[in-house]
Amino acid sequence: MDLEKIEDLLKLLRDHDVDEFELQDGELAVAVKWGGTQVAVAPTVVAAPVVAAPAPAAVETVTMAGAPAAPAAPVAPAASDDTHGIESPMVGTFYRASQPGATPFVEVGARVSVGQTICIVEAMKLMNEIEADVDGVVEEILVEDARPVQFGQVLFKIRKG
Amino acid sequence: MFKKILIANRGEIALRIVRACREMGISTVAVHSACDAHSLHVRLADEAVCIGPAQAKDSYLHIPAIISAAEITGADAIHPGYGFLAENKEFAEVVAAHSMTFIGPSPEHLSMFGDKLSAKEAARDAGLPLLGGSTGAIDDAEEAVNVAKEIGFPVMLKAAAGGGGKGMRIIRNTEELVRVFPLAVAESLAAFGSGLVFLERFLERPRHIEVQVAGDAEGNAVHVLERDCSMQRRQQKIIEEATASSLDSDLRDRICVAARDLVASTGYTTVGTVEFLVEEGEFFFLEVNPRIQVEHPVTEEVTGIDLVQLQIRLAAGERMPFSQEEIRAHGHAIEIRVNAEDPVTFLPSPGLITGYHEPGGPGIRIDSAAHEQAMVQPYYDSLVAKLIVWAPTREQCIRRTISAIDEFVVEGIKTTLPLQRELLSDEAFREGRFHTRYVNEYLEARDAN
Repeated sequence: MDLEKIEDLLKLLRDHDVDEFELQDGELAVAVKWGGTQVAVAPTVVAAPVVAAPAPAAVETVTMAGAPAAPAAPVAPAASDDTHGIESPMVGTFYRASQPGATPFVEVGARVSVGQTICIVEAMKLMNEIEADVDGVVEEILVEDARPVQFGQVLFKIRKG
Repeated sequence: MFKKILIANRGEIALRIVRACREMGISTVAVHSACDAHSLHVRLADEAVCIGPAQAKDSYLHIPAIISAAEITGADAIHPGYGFLAENKEFAEVVAAHSMTFIGPSPEHLSMFGDKLSAKEAARDAGLPLLGGSTGAIDDAEEAVNVAKEIGFPVMLKAAAGGGGKGMRIIRNTEELVRVFPLAVAESLAAFGSGLVFLERFLERPRHIEVQVAGDAEGNAVHVLERDCSMQRRQQKIIEEATASSLDSDLRDRICVAARDLVASTGYTTVGTVEFLVEEGEFFFLEVNPRIQVEHPVTEEVTGIDLVQLQIRLAAGERMPFSQEEIRAHGHAIEIRVNAEDPVTFLPSPGLITGYHEPGGPGIRIDSAAHEQAMVQPYYDSLVAKLIVWAPTREQCIRRTISAIDEFVVEGIKTTLPLQRELLSDEAFREGRFHTRYVNEYLEARDAN
């Protein structure tokens, strides 16, 4: 997929008022999210192995041709006063439960309170418990179990209250 | 050969490494702080991982975050660039403990050359000439005075753990030494984590001549000729050249061979630089920089050797791909470090680059992550771009560099380019009559008028 096609795609999405879009096409992953009037583009960590070809063509970070550099990634959730994004404080692997096969800490719809453990991010063989920093209800879980996460990546959306 | 290299750095050197890897068919992982998410090397790398906030101590210096990023991406080697963790022995050990290759020398060599005192010892053992001074760390002001009287004032009081031109003071008499000694110890402790200081004879107007070296795992050592980095403002290099001008050819050979001897005798691997001070036909070992250096491009331009690719190959265990005899210099190269600083006050000038246009034409090379709408961040060093110029002769090279500076547009921030242009036009510089205090004296004279 070349840059021109990406531009056409983005135009199409905007024309149809799409808020959020994700596409995986072989080695290319495109994730786009509109928040307010700013267009933010999320660089994704490609989990699929990159083929070590002499001239690697895969690009999974989308750059907006002609647009000024967007503010710092990763993407913050679309601003809504009631919704709060819980971001990963570190790089590592995200786990929904304390160990494989155990019940996940939370599911969508669960009520959480400040200080409650909601997931694990494992880094260098250390399991770090991540706690909710607001009271509310889990609206969305944005990362699948055992997937890699970066610093600042949004893991959960909590509807405050 | 490595399949995937994680670049634990940012800016122009990270871009340089990404380029080398791309040519070699090696996958790249760019780790970056949150504010560097849109920088050029991040966009060009195959994968990107945000490892922390802007502050270096929580991102580029944060070893767990870097190792974690390497784990989740499956990198098999880490290139530390220069600065940050490039000479951090603990980092090199942690990388190895995680079954990855640290693209640089062994932890033992980092340790040996990280400490200036042990580096001197290694140099002494290899038969290199040393500056007179204390043989070890100095315990107190009294001992300092005794050593100083022996070697003669003026002396240089240096932090053993210092580096990058920091942690050194010129002392001209006993009274000053006694007064300054405890201050220097405290500063060294705060800046480098070690209060060990030592004394060295101070040369008034030496030239800073450094030699690029390389070594492979089988013990093959070469030198890749020398660079002249005497043009320094307050110990920070601002103009570098390859090769050194008006240096007696016999002296040049002896300096280069001495550097190679040090690599051979210590079994040092990958690439590095051996620094010397040269005054009145004599040369003295200064220190070793066990990393790829900022000014490596000038050596690349005159020898045609890609030093970053060489470094990666040597780290992968490959044998030195050429013999000493095959290494030749052709022409002359100059590097201008374009720093985001006011050219008069030298106050840092971070901010948004609103206009940017690089010079071009024969013999012009720019190593830079800068572009229009790029943000020069206040959290890191001020290097924005390196302008590297090659020409058949030094005289032509100077003219070509001045012409290139005139073409170089950088708007929105201030840069040191006007100063460097002035220095290139200066008669003493053109005639090769300069030394490590030259720029400071030039600026003092300019400010006095």
